Amino acid sequence: MALESQLAERHARILRSPVDGQSFKKLIEASLTWLRANQQTVNALNVFPVPDGDTGTNMVLTMQAAYDEISASAERNFGKIAHAVAHGALMGARGNSGVILSQLWRGFARGFDEKEALDVPTMVRAFSEARDTAYKGVVRPVEGTILTVAKDIARAAEEAQSYVKNPIQLLEILVAAAHESVESTPNLLPVLKEAGVVDAGGKGLFFILEGMLRYINGESLEAPTTLVRPLSELVLENTLESIEPGQDFEVIVDFRPDKTLDLESFYEHLEQMGTSIQVGEGDGLYRLHIHVPTENLYTPIDYTRNLGTITKVAIENLIDQMDHTASRGGEMIPHVQIEPGQIAVVAVAPGDGIAKVFYSLGAAAIVEGGQTMNPSTKEILNAFENLPTDRIIILPNNKNIILAAKSVAELTVKKIAVIPSKSVPQGLAALMRLAPDGDFDQVVEDMTAALEEVESGEITIATRNVEIDGVQVKEGEIIALLNGKLVASSPTIEQATLAFLEKAHADHFELITLFYGADISKKDVSTIADRIRATYPDQEVEIQEGGQPHYPLIISIE
Amino acid sequence: MSGHISIVTDSTADLPTSLAEQNHIHVVPNILVIEGKSYEDGQDISREEFYELLPKMKTLPTTATASVGAYQTLYEKLLKKGAQAILSFHASSLLSGIYNTAVTAAQAFAGRVRVIDSEQVSMGLGFQVLAAAESLAKGCSLQEILQHVKEVQEKIRVVAMLDTLEYVRRSGRVSWARAHLGNLLHIKPFIELRRGRVLSLGEVRTRQKGIERVKKMLTEIGAMDQLAILHTNAEQEARMLLEEVKNKIKNDPLVVHVTTVIGTHVGPKGLGFAAVTD
Repeated sequence: MALESQLAERHARILRSPVDGQSFKKLIEASLTWLRANQQTVNALNVFPVPDGDTGTNMVLTMQAAYDEISASAERNFGKIAHAVAHGALMGARGNSGVILSQLWRGFARGFDEKEALDVPTMVRAFSEARDTAYKGVVRPVEGTILTVAKDIARAAEEAQSYVKNPIQLLEILVAAAHESVESTPNLLPVLKEAGVVDAGGKGLFFILEGMLRYINGESLEAPTTLVRPLSELVLENTLESIEPGQDFEVIVDFRPDKTLDLESFYEHLEQMGTSIQVGEGDGLYRLHIHVPTENLYTPIDYTRNLGTITKVAIENLIDQMDHTASRGGEMIPHVQIEPGQIAVVAVAPGDGIAKVFYSLGAAAIVEGGQTMNPSTKEILNAFENLPTDRIIILPNNKNIILAAKSVAELTVKKIAVIPSKSVPQGLAALMRLAPDGDFDQVVEDMTAALEEVESGEITIATRNVEIDGVQVKEGEIIALLNGKLVASSPTIEQATLAFLEKAHADHFELITLFYGADISKKDVSTIADRIRATYPDQEVEIQEGGQPHYPLIISIE
Repeated sequence: MSGHISIVTDSTADLPTSLAEQNHIHVVPNILVIEGKSYEDGQDISREEFYELLPKMKTLPTTATASVGAYQTLYEKLLKKGAQAILSFHASSLLSGIYNTAVTAAQAFAGRVRVIDSEQVSMGLGFQVLAAAESLAKGCSLQEILQHVKEVQEKIRVVAMLDTLEYVRRSGRVSWARAHLGNLLHIKPFIELRRGRVLSLGEVRTRQKGIERVKKMLTEIGAMDQLAILHTNAEQEARMLLEEVKNKIKNDPLVVHVTTVIGTHVGPKGLGFAAVTD
């Protein structure tokens, strides 16, 4: 009893002054702290036993971006702070749960408009708006997810409006409603029931509200029992073609040789001067391209002058160019030179090898990310903002990045289309249909149609015991997914791969490409490839370095 | 025959010899240099042989235009025979120096030789030359002929699947191809020739899909006035492709084994088409 009255007194004290923007800031901070404390709990609520886009991590990073937007603000207006939270959440949105969370905040802020302080009717309206906005943001809403939890929260608010006395009382009701809603998500979504978990996004939303209430009640926001795992940061090697020592200048010489050029001896001479040698010829005119160190700057020019007539020389300082590129912040590395007005493709790539393949097929920019680290809306935006075109196509290459990619459209005036590629093989198949000078809508249609032309395989390590899609999986076993569906679980990568190929009817196709990950050696992959060739003698097998984490193989069958 | 108009083109037009002769079209051969030895296009080495050998050659063949002198000699001969004017049609000036060579040669004849940039190659150029011959046979004036050719040029589509990007890339004539430093081994690029430039239409990874895509693009064009299936040693597939669409074409379709001078830059086993839409 004493405790209860203490709490009531505390609530009364808080409610004596209006809950304004600065108070809301504290609540958001509490949400973030409590969500982070429970990040691992949310991450563990994974349906598939695969290293997946972690919902908890995505929601924490989204909330972190929301809080960063207001942390230094002295604004007292509640509505204005709410709008800032929504903006920050959208910019930082990662993964499907992060995007939906950002839409919830957007609706919430709209409910407040520019209201000075919190009151019950506005709060009810805000949660209703939050629900409506989030549902509208999803093409095919699925029940038993964070959306359902948002809906149940809004309904509880609407029902309680007539009898609650103050916002704190309402919040208590909402936290209870969120809890109840989360617990019943498995009844709505069979896949959750099968896996024996509740919905992760819904649970995250519950923690966000509960964090606010715990702060008001003066309860600890420290991590409960489980330890917070450090952010699973995806550190990719810099995919920028780095300059080797001794490559200071790019020299291009056009010349017309006096007599037929002996190409072999020509190359031999050039190789002594520099690297990245390319020679082109057209109607007797030769173009030489070479990277040379400063001291050899004029050597290629002097050399070609002895062979014929020089018509043109161009020299560019590579070091200066590199510095310029590096200062732009590392995440985006423009590659194919996009001509103004052409269609540019931005692709999300989970490894440096895969990034290179995307570049080689004409992607204009790469955003690093994938299964274990979903890029934020802002990272995707940054990748194309500076490209000299307003026609942008995004390849998310992961089902958990599609929504974040779609929400980029809200942040830019450029014309954006998202091709819903759910895997690297799908993304590559789509990219191959890019006609940079084509009609935008037609190209989008062609690229989307190409998604169906390839079978995608993923070989990874099971993160826990489960039975799913009729396959019994033990933690630590190698599992194979065909187009996102679990099809095999085996003791070794080779066995899982062969089982996968059988399920995928690889014998009906022409080409099998293996993109090998960071955790498997090229030698092991070659052994597996030899076994595949022996089993499928009529199919071509190609090996590519993918560099992706957690997935020893990503397989494309076409 | 005094006061007539003569038509000149070069061997990148890919006009079958019989058609050229029938229409009194003068074709200037280009030059192919294989390991230091020069060949006139169409001479000494058969196309089948050439495309068989191409992947095995240590250094890629190079190509050259006929000399300014060769063009001057031909123009002079035709004018002496009584031609009042000459129309000289050539491959896209953005891809080859043939047009410039012809323009230089024409300067000696005070406006009597009109050099036209077809903005195309192969039968994309060939169909324009045939359009000119057709108008000429009808007795059209020089202005009317050029007008007709321009109309045909607008209706031409030239698309091809290459078996590999390697040859286009090494030719150095297509800027985007250089950036596509193929990481994937199995890549079959699709190209289209438009306004004199080679544009990318993307890629496929297997030949079967590539052939299906050529077929799809061809059927999507709908009714056609004229069609030439183009190939570089893929005769059988070219014939198959023709079977699919031959009832949609007004005039007799052609199957053209593309000249070695173009083939050097696209490589063997390419398959495509030049179509004049209806």
